[in-house]
Amino acid sequence: MVSSISPAWVLCQDNGISRRIVSVDGSVAKRLHLQGSKTSFARAFVTSIWQLKVGLHHSSGNVRLLPCIKCENSNKEGSSFEQVSVEPPPYHSYLDSTSGQLEPASGARASIPGQEFWPEGTASRVRAARAPEPMGASTTSPSYGQNPGSRRKKYKASVASSETSETSGVPDIPDDVLEEPKELLSEYVVYQSEPEEENLSHYEMDKKIGRPHPFIDPKAKKPVEEPLTSEELWWNWRKPEKEQWSRWQRRRPDVETVFLKAMAETGQIKLYGDHPTMTETSLYRARRHIYKEERLKAEQERLERIGPLAYYSEWVKAWKRDTSREAVQKHFEETGEDENTQLIEMFTHQTDREYRIMMGTDVRIRRDPLAMRMREDQIKEIWGGDPVYPTINYIQDPDAVIDFRGPDFHEPTPDMLAYLKEHGKIISREELEMKLAKEKTEELEMTDMDEAMAQAVDIGENDDEGEESDDGEEEKISRNWSILKSNPELRKSKGKPKNNNLSLEEAIDDSENLTDFLMDFEEDE
Amino acid sequence: MLKNSFLLCTGECYLHVPVQQPIFICKKRNRSIKSAAAAAAAVAYNATSSSAAAAASNLEISSASSPSSFPLFQTPSSLQPTPASELEPADPDFYKIGYVRSVRAYGIEFREGPDGFGVYASKDVEPLRRARVIMEIPLELMLTISQKTPWMFFPDIIPVGHPIFDIINSTNPEIDWDLRLACLLLYAFDCKDNFWTLYGDFLPSADECTSLLLATEEDLLELQDHNLASTMREHRQRALEFWEKNWHSAVPLKIKRLARDPERFIWAVSIAQSRCINMQTRIGALVQDLNMLVPYADMLNHSFQPNCFFHWRFKDRMLEVMINAGQRIRRGDEMTVNYMSGWKNNLFMQRYGFSSPVNPWDVIQFSGGARIHLDSFLSVFNISGLPEEYYHNTGRLSNNGYNFVDGAVLAAARTLPTWSDGDVPPIPSIERKAAKELQEECQLMLAEYPTTAKEDQQILDSMPEARRTLEAAIKYRLHRKLLIEKVIQALDVYQEQILF
Repeated sequence: MVSSISPAWVLCQDNGISRRIVSVDGSVAKRLHLQGSKTSFARAFVTSIWQLKVGLHHSSGNVRLLPCIKCENSNKEGSSFEQVSVEPPPYHSYLDSTSGQLEPASGARASIPGQEFWPEGTASRVRAARAPEPMGASTTSPSYGQNPGSRRKKYKASVASSETSETSGVPDIPDDVLEEPKELLSEYVVYQSEPEEENLSHYEMDKKIGRPHPFIDPKAKKPVEEPLTSEELWWNWRKPEKEQWSRWQRRRPDVETVFLKAMAETGQIKLYGDHPTMTETSLYRARRHIYKEERLKAEQERLERIGPLAYYSEWVKAWKRDTSREAVQKHFEETGEDENTQLIEMFTHQTDREYRIMMGTDVRIRRDPLAMRMREDQIKEIWGGDPVYPTINYIQDPDAVIDFRGPDFHEPTPDMLAYLKEHGKIISREELEMKLAKEKTEELEMTDMDEAMAQAVDIGENDDEGEESDDGEEEKISRNWSILKSNPELRKSKGKPKNNNLSLEEAIDDSENLTDFLMDFEEDE
Repeated sequence: MLKNSFLLCTGECYLHVPVQQPIFICKKRNRSIKSAAAAAAAVAYNATSSSAAAAASNLEISSASSPSSFPLFQTPSSLQPTPASELEPADPDFYKIGYVRSVRAYGIEFREGPDGFGVYASKDVEPLRRARVIMEIPLELMLTISQKTPWMFFPDIIPVGHPIFDIINSTNPEIDWDLRLACLLLYAFDCKDNFWTLYGDFLPSADECTSLLLATEEDLLELQDHNLASTMREHRQRALEFWEKNWHSAVPLKIKRLARDPERFIWAVSIAQSRCINMQTRIGALVQDLNMLVPYADMLNHSFQPNCFFHWRFKDRMLEVMINAGQRIRRGDEMTVNYMSGWKNNLFMQRYGFSSPVNPWDVIQFSGGARIHLDSFLSVFNISGLPEEYYHNTGRLSNNGYNFVDGAVLAAARTLPTWSDGDVPPIPSIERKAAKELQEECQLMLAEYPTTAKEDQQILDSMPEARRTLEAAIKYRLHRKLLIEKVIQALDVYQEQILF
């Protein structure tokens, strides 16, 4: 039986997907099947397991799926497994009433429908894929368009006859310039002409073929240690060093970092490395704060020294009168108008433009030269890209599952009271009472309305609160920032909602904002 | 399927005369008759050439008396040799270069006779309800130009700004399609890695082409047809002028090297003329009338009763060659297509370089007033159908062995001056008289030719190594005479069998 079958099998590649053993003639397989169903064909083959997948019938349009036959070998020489006697099924195949043919009782029971039921175009593709590759080797070589007709048989004969008569050697094109190597060795693709020899271990072979195999390679498998209890795990947890296990641990490009980098690029400062370190950042933050404080203090001192009229006359060009303290005093003595009245009088001469310049709201004054000079991507690093069309550094990956735990989530919660106390955000009752008592005495002292009036007039950078609200608004801008960049007057047209829900860090950082620093910087220039 | 059927050729020669198709002409691309034996078989249809018929009958007798011809006693694996198996199979690379570019051929093989390539069935095909694909050629291998402006090329092998496009663009959009296609073909030969640089080796070379563009002046004189000869001179002159205009000494090298001499250009024009397929294709939503050069499909020869046809499969942009639905194909049958329907022999000669004695569309100009009764003539020869589609009722009313009626008789039915007046019956004596007058006119026509058909046949037989064009020219005049003789015979038969 084996000998009668073996010539009928050819190994044919089925569209490059899988290799199958296909019968050339379906009738042979049919005969095999019928014979096998009569005898118990368990002892038919010598090899251990033969799995025959019978291909589609060629000639007839009706495609049958012939039964899968699995043969077990009976001799025990390779009995690495225990011979289990399984009750054989009562039948191997059954007559399917749908197809009217014998169908295998195991495996895929649904037969492939006939060709007339295939979707359009499938038949032609199958036919094209099944076409055998032409065989035979050519004795001639191509002339690549130089010599049309040179590979015709007739042509060859005539050339050969003329060649023998003339004995003139036609320059032979070497045989390697044939079509075949040109196809195989393309310029870009190196085809694997012969299958690679691979020596797989037993486990890998099992895994590749699909035989039952353990999930883990038994060689690589390590015994599982006794697991710790969750209590022990909790107390033995150690913070991993330098391990970024969440993308949220990544240092985000905050304002300070970006500004520091921009300053380093323009050569104003020098950084130790590529990125500003934490120390450098905090140093920068502190320095910026100090500069701002210093400047505000200087302004205040100047105001007190020269008097409010002289101080603010800078922004009232129309006020031509003398604004020195003596002149103010003299005017007071002449007309009885005190300093506040004179100040109000002066401000009535102030133009709208001057007012806006004074309050720091004139867009025509470049207030943050560095920010204006920063590159687009640096600005985007601060404000993020356009959220509608995210461009660069879109931190909020829309598909990401947010991990709210920071890298320090296992650290004990800091003592908030001490923290707030230390930062002056909270004071004890005694201190409060002391302050209140002091304020009461101050209130008694504060009878001088002039000074109060002078305090009430506000220039922009004098007040932390105003700056904070500016900053808050700027941070709130998350979309269309580029429009706002090109015409920043839009920013001010919106109302100034006070965001009350500042987080702790924002509350800490509220005093140190961008614009203040930059104004300081401008002054330094 | 292409490779194994010719392995078992025995030395014996079987001659299968296709009796089921009396109107069957197989014409090679380059010559009209494929081999000596096939020539004998073809000539054996005509009762005039008695010697050839005798040779053919000898062959048949010898094959019938050979012991192994009885099919039951032969082993089923051994394949009976067919007329096709005497021809040489094509070079293996001919298949390979196409196979790797997803050309597919099913159940056919390309064979090469002394007269060029032909396509033959390598297995029997039962008549099928639907047309069966035998060849698939992808668009990427073809050379195509749209028939009208704007010129579009599929595949577009001409880079933008290449001067060959200016040359193509300078042609007359109405008449110069062959020049455009020749330019494209020559350019494809120059393209690196183009399929046609490989396929061009299997095209007929200049000395194998029968196109009259390559004919010499004496070949044209041998045509014995002044109109055709002058037309061919004009065509040749047109191609030469085109070459001189565009391949003058100042053209850049990339143009000059395409056709350094006018012979190569005229060869390309003749290839374009004889192998062009005009089809309407659809690519996506774009419907285009194209002049196409299709590899492999152009190896199919012409027949007036073709068994194949072309079909454009737009889904994957392939040209399919399909067997006619319901057509029975025997192993070794030649697969043929109809190049042009309704063309006379001189048009076939002008464009393709071949002619046929059984062209059912050939025309003889009669000037006399004699007429025969059309319906009687048709019924004598058992011809049915409307004048545009006359066909011979084989097997219904006539016996199968009767193969007098062929394309020439159909041509006679079309070209003879006839009358038909409702139910008015013909008067036999008048009919006979008219037939005799027509016969005399035909004899006068034959007498005008300087040679007779027999002399032409002798000339052909005497020079087997003649130039292809000369051979084609002599065959052309021979076929003309054979047609006239066939008409005379048909009128004889008509006089005998006219119904009373």
